[in-house]
Amino acid sequence: MILKIDITGDIPIYQQIRNQIVSGVATGHLKAGEQLPTVRQLAGDIGVNPMTVSKAYGLLKEEGVIVMDRRHGAKINLFQTQEHPLDKKFDDNFTFLISEVLIKGASREGLKEHVLHLIDSIYGQEEI
Amino acid sequence: MIPLLIVILWLVFGVMAISSLFYRRYRANQVLGVTLSKTHSQHPEVQKTIDSFTKACYAVVLLSVGCSFLLLIPAIGSYSEFFMLLLVVSNLFVHWLMIGNYQKKLMHIKEQNKWTYQRKKIVSVDLTVSREKGRSSISSVWVWLFLLFSFAPTAVWFLNADIRQSYPIGLSFIGPLCQLCTFFLYYQMKNQHSSIANEKSEKNLVYAQQEERINSISATLSSLAMLIFWILFSLSMLYTQNSLLVIAPLIFLIAALFIIARWQQNKMRKLEENFIGTLSESDENIQEQQSTWKWGCYYNPSDPRIFVPKRIASMGWTINIGRPIGKIFYFGIMILVFAVILFVAYGGLKDYQITVQGSEIMINAAMYDTTFEKEQVVSVSVIKQLPNGTRTNGYGGAKKSFGHFALKGYGNCMLYIYNHVNQYIVVQLKGNDPGYVFINDKTIEKTETLYQTISHWLSESE
Repeated sequence: MILKIDITGDIPIYQQIRNQIVSGVATGHLKAGEQLPTVRQLAGDIGVNPMTVSKAYGLLKEEGVIVMDRRHGAKINLFQTQEHPLDKKFDDNFTFLISEVLIKGASREGLKEHVLHLIDSIYGQEEI
Repeated sequence: MIPLLIVILWLVFGVMAISSLFYRRYRANQVLGVTLSKTHSQHPEVQKTIDSFTKACYAVVLLSVGCSFLLLIPAIGSYSEFFMLLLVVSNLFVHWLMIGNYQKKLMHIKEQNKWTYQRKKIVSVDLTVSREKGRSSISSVWVWLFLLFSFAPTAVWFLNADIRQSYPIGLSFIGPLCQLCTFFLYYQMKNQHSSIANEKSEKNLVYAQQEERINSISATLSSLAMLIFWILFSLSMLYTQNSLLVIAPLIFLIAALFIIARWQQNKMRKLEENFIGTLSESDENIQEQQSTWKWGCYYNPSDPRIFVPKRIASMGWTINIGRPIGKIFYFGIMILVFAVILFVAYGGLKDYQITVQGSEIMINAAMYDTTFEKEQVVSVSVIKQLPNGTRTNGYGGAKKSFGHFALKGYGNCMLYIYNHVNQYIVVQLKGNDPGYVFINDKTIEKTETLYQTISHWLSESE
């Protein structure tokens, strides 16, 4: 999987790393058990302080996306299914995003179509 | 001595010209530090500008080589270090001006043709490549071994008493220090960022593994070249009288490093041709880099990083002078360089002042003043030839040598001598730190007068 980090962008670098790894796991580009580079190596490759990568790995560990192995470093965790994945945090985040595009002038139909397209790209096309 | 200095100057001019000429090559979407796509870099106007830059580089080399012959004029040769420094700094300045001028020309061509690229700085990292990094390079055992062998002169120093007379222990650590630089180069090459050659991780991995192999081999060979240079240099310092032979190992080192760099460049070019193909040729993949570069350094106050990779990542790291700590680093280095230049200029221009004051003699020289009392003096004699030896902490120029030296048969000495005058007053002192002070004046006649003055000063006490 290729990480594309925008160094000059507004989104913090640790958040970009975390977001892209989560997307990679969701889309199947990163498989369960797959090893991630060491903090130092990834920091060197991106050209950032190791603390930045460490912060991203810390977040991913907290969220259960990765597990830290003393001998093998960071590894992608098995999907941890939750009883209520669509919780309040999800609702808050999604409500905020919908409000934001509403202000920018997105139509109800346009938004529905776009969200369905995004769902397809992550879950894969629905078989009819 | 002067012909040797001229050869050193030619080497410096050659190295500067080669680095400028390397800069005109299309690499990492840049020509002469100006962002251009591959297609745009082949535009006739751009090619014409690059050709003109190449000719200007050759003209600067020829002009600088011509100026170096001015050292043969006795009036200039007397101040050779200062003149050399002036020539090197001027050469550097002309190169800097020339690159700046041609960058402006290329920017003008870009504006005229409305070639624009995105201003975002996006770093792409393949996680598979990053994870596997460091596994394809040749073993680090070699660079460790070379580092160990570079301590050979230090070991000989401890085992051989004769060598201790003329070869200072401090000098024996210069080799391991240089070896450490190649050691650092090896690890830098091993871990450097790999380009994304393809959207497929498998291809990226093969590309990165081959790149790592080439880079680690070239770093190991550089380390070996440094070791051979150091052993040859140490041998020439101990066993040869001719100063031109001392420079032979240096010429070997420069030639070896040049050949290794050529080999590495050729291998990398072939690898890039095979793997990268047309992926990076799309204008969308090119990022405009000019906006974040100022005075040859990375300048981006909104980027929190202090150390950032250079425009060409394989060239190492640079400082972000947009951050306060970066500014402190940058100006600190500038002040250090300026202080060294001032010291060389001051040391080259200032003459010694030897004054007799009551029961002591004061010798005033740039940064290496000394004073000795009459009761410290054991004997005073005159010799016609200076024994072989090395500088331990002092100034060794074409015209003058002063400061702390270690001379064969004399041990630790202080020298205040004009090199072209083959008459030296040797003042033996009690103790051995320093055991002897060597002095002379600008001519043999003046040296004889100085000897009379010192003898008279000594006899006054009897």
